[in-house]
Amino acid sequence: MKKAGILGNLNGIVFIVALLVIFSLEIFGKVIERGVGHYLKWENHTRPQLGRIWERDREKIVAQKKIESILSNLSTQEQSSESIQSFKELFEKLNPSDPQMVSRKKFLQLYFEFPEQLANKMVSPYELLEIDSNRDWQRVLLTQLGEWVTISFINNQNFPIREVFLSAEGMGENPLNRDIFKGTLEEAGFGQASILTIVDFMRVMKTLDPDAQKDLFPNPYWFFSKNYYVVRVGVKEIEGSDVYPPPVRMGVEYQSDFYTEVLILPVPADISENLLSQIEIPVYDESAEDLSPFGDYQGDLN
Amino acid sequence: MNRRIFEKIAFSLFTLVMAFSLLGFGLYVDLKDDLPQLPDSLDKINLSLPTEIYSSQGNVIKVLGQRHPVTLDEISPRFTEAMIATEDSRFYSHSGVDHIGLTRAMLRNIRDMRVSQGGSTITQQLSKNLFFSFERKWVRKIKELMIALQIEATFSKDEILEAYCNQVYFGSGAYGVEDASLIYFGKRAKDLTLLQAALLAGLPNSPNNANPFNNFERAMKRTRTVLNRMISSGFISPIQMEEALETDLELAPRRIQSNPNQYFIQYVISKLEKEYGKEFVHFGGLKIFTTLDARLQKFAQQAVTTHMKSLDKRMGSNEDEEILQAAVVALENKTGAVRVLVGGRDYAQSQFNRAISNNRMAGSSFKPIVYLAAMENLGISPATVMKDEPVVLNISEDKTWEPKNFNDEYFGDLILKRALMKSLNVVSAKLVNDLTPERVIKTARQMGITSPLGENLSLALGATGVSPLEMAGAYSVISNLGVLNEPYLIDRIEDFRGNTLYEHFYFGVQRFSQKSIYPLLDMMRGVVEEGTGRVIRRMGFRHPAGGKTGTTNDYKDAWFDGFTKDLSVSVWVGYDSNNSMIDRNGRGLTGGSAAAPIWGYFMKKGLRGKNPANFPVPEGIRFVEVDSETGYIANISTKKTMKVAVKNDVVLTLPPTTDSTRGFFSFEDEPEPEQNFPTNNRPEENVLPEL
Repeated sequence: MKKAGILGNLNGIVFIVALLVIFSLEIFGKVIERGVGHYLKWENHTRPQLGRIWERDREKIVAQKKIESILSNLSTQEQSSESIQSFKELFEKLNPSDPQMVSRKKFLQLYFEFPEQLANKMVSPYELLEIDSNRDWQRVLLTQLGEWVTISFINNQNFPIREVFLSAEGMGENPLNRDIFKGTLEEAGFGQASILTIVDFMRVMKTLDPDAQKDLFPNPYWFFSKNYYVVRVGVKEIEGSDVYPPPVRMGVEYQSDFYTEVLILPVPADISENLLSQIEIPVYDESAEDLSPFGDYQGDLN
Repeated sequence: MNRRIFEKIAFSLFTLVMAFSLLGFGLYVDLKDDLPQLPDSLDKINLSLPTEIYSSQGNVIKVLGQRHPVTLDEISPRFTEAMIATEDSRFYSHSGVDHIGLTRAMLRNIRDMRVSQGGSTITQQLSKNLFFSFERKWVRKIKELMIALQIEATFSKDEILEAYCNQVYFGSGAYGVEDASLIYFGKRAKDLTLLQAALLAGLPNSPNNANPFNNFERAMKRTRTVLNRMISSGFISPIQMEEALETDLELAPRRIQSNPNQYFIQYVISKLEKEYGKEFVHFGGLKIFTTLDARLQKFAQQAVTTHMKSLDKRMGSNEDEEILQAAVVALENKTGAVRVLVGGRDYAQSQFNRAISNNRMAGSSFKPIVYLAAMENLGISPATVMKDEPVVLNISEDKTWEPKNFNDEYFGDLILKRALMKSLNVVSAKLVNDLTPERVIKTARQMGITSPLGENLSLALGATGVSPLEMAGAYSVISNLGVLNEPYLIDRIEDFRGNTLYEHFYFGVQRFSQKSIYPLLDMMRGVVEEGTGRVIRRMGFRHPAGGKTGTTNDYKDAWFDGFTKDLSVSVWVGYDSNNSMIDRNGRGLTGGSAAAPIWGYFMKKGLRGKNPANFPVPEGIRFVEVDSETGYIANISTKKTMKVAVKNDVVLTLPPTTDSTRGFFSFEDEPEPEQNFPTNNRPEENVLPEL
């Protein structure tokens, strides 16, 4: 009985002592706070990112994402404009809601590396020299408003040094409409009947006066400089045109070591009639088609 | 007996411990989902790069989200000591909760029967600043406490103190001790004296009440309290306190709250927020290069302040009465760049931006648009004769309108140029009646007016809401000889690495042919030289300029819109409440008396030292001296002559009785036509038929 009483007191004493120990540890060692603190630290990663500090973090992330998105768009635009291969492609991309921008270098590349005399059609090379003389021509901005296309040569302040206006309606007949077609003349829509070998075409060329020759055919240096071998030339009238005489396109088919392409360019109106009359290729009617020495086979012509 | 008492005590303690344990556990279970995660670093909140806004001169005019975090080494030890003594004297010995402080606060609160003392430690306050709202809820207090414990378990005492010093609000817009030191004393936090450190340490507790800028005495009282606590905590001796109190506080002059560029800046920010989102603007670390000319802006603000003070005197306004407001916008004609935008007298007093608000009637300043539409569509010229007389116009089958001139004064026959110079309402109303309001609206749209315009005859008198920004844009089309450059405020935006995110491209559109616009430009020069805007000349402004005054019904709005070759400036004056502006003598304020002087003062200062630039005369324009009443070509017997600019194809005749071989004035000395505008080779065909 006595033993039970001692044991009963002992339990209470142990409990009190334990409490006192814990109390002392708390007072002098802050065990409870530390315990709770470390537990919360341990399970920190499981909790949501709430509160002002995280809100700020999210806002920073949103801002950075927006910046990245803008930069990515700008980069895409720049790559797109740098990959343009001809003025025609550039003008095709242009619409009132989508101005086009090319660097000075790209513009000059399109201007000089592409075969055809542009001088009096858009801006003369002498004007370009003048525009460039102050060393602040940076880029070219093309904008379309209504029927007008504005070509702005802009400086590093984005201010136009010179503006050139072109009628969008007239663009169809503009020499800027030159293009390169990957494939053969036939694939580019030139009829068999109006295709000549380069040798035959040169015979026709020789009948034209030197100015007309220059206006008609691109500068040969372009083909030499790129190791292109001109093989055939085709001529065709643009179908469905409501102007008379209908505009004429000339296709110069050339081959590189790896591919065949056709340089398509408009024929000046004053030469087109003469040129067409000079070519005089007999047009076979369909029933007589098998009389053609070539039949359906056209590949060898290349 | 003893045993029973002992058992009871043990049981009570056990129950108490269990109750606390269960309560703590229950609270944790209940709140754990709402407890925020702690970041790896307490600096995280300071890491965002500030967005800087620049003027066109390349100077920073505003920084958004700027913080100046510093390390403990860069903070005066006196300040940290003062902070610890004031906010949490046992900071270095507790683990997030100060038992003694908490007990004392609890007893005090029980005694006061209200929450009069918080007992929060620095760690708890930091926890609150970083994660929680400032509402006083016990749930928030418990969460704050738990996070404080975690902060203590995660970071060192110095890291906690440093973060606290960089987070806490010191009033006057200062977050962090470095900002506070710069604002209150114009020095770095490491250079604070004992007195300055004590003053700053007293601020977080009551940043507004103990603010030395607002109440110096209270601030010093609080400083003494802080110094006493520093003594109690053993950081300083009483002698040091006395010495500190004898030193000069060296309080810096209060920063002028009202930044003269604030209306412009806020408009830029709001436009960008709308376009890209708030986060982009405030947390993007951007460099925003604007078109603002801080020098011109300063002059415009000065012009507004100076003239409005004189108008206040004229109106006899008391301090508690509504004050007159004003707005000014100046555009660079060549580019459309907004160089000045003043949206009111003082941004600190009123943030409403009147320069972009289109809720005020344009009055007669709208008439040039009517005249241009008339010359474009009715085949009339500045020399065309109109009859200025009382008239009744039919609005509909059963409704009529009788427009009246200012002061009910009518002039009979007179040419169009003179009618505009005198701002005759009847003539303008007749023109709109002949034109139809639709045609006027079309012309207004071509000039860049975008506000809704009512299709009614009262357009003749400018009874339509427009903004000063729109009016400046429309007038710049006149000065630009028909070229509209969209007004813009942002030149370029870069990210912190210098990548261009946005850039503005100038793109002028020839909305009217040069020779169609020039006659109107010449008429508006007449307004400044001899018409309702001649106050500009009386003020001594000598540059070639054109303009038009505008006063709406009952003197509710006063306008003066005008231009030189380089700048187009619109000025509006009025009450926000749309009350009439009647001075103490019963006279109304007009565009000429209320708005034009601001224009004149601003332009005189802004263009000081610059050579006057003439307006180029386009090809196809000739100048003719005509009889201002009959429109006939003037001869030596003509009494009232006036020189007008007309297109070459306008046929002007001699008076019926004039001998055509004599009496002509020669105008061969007129300047040769020149075309040196931004788009000098712009074809006239580029004129857009419609917007």
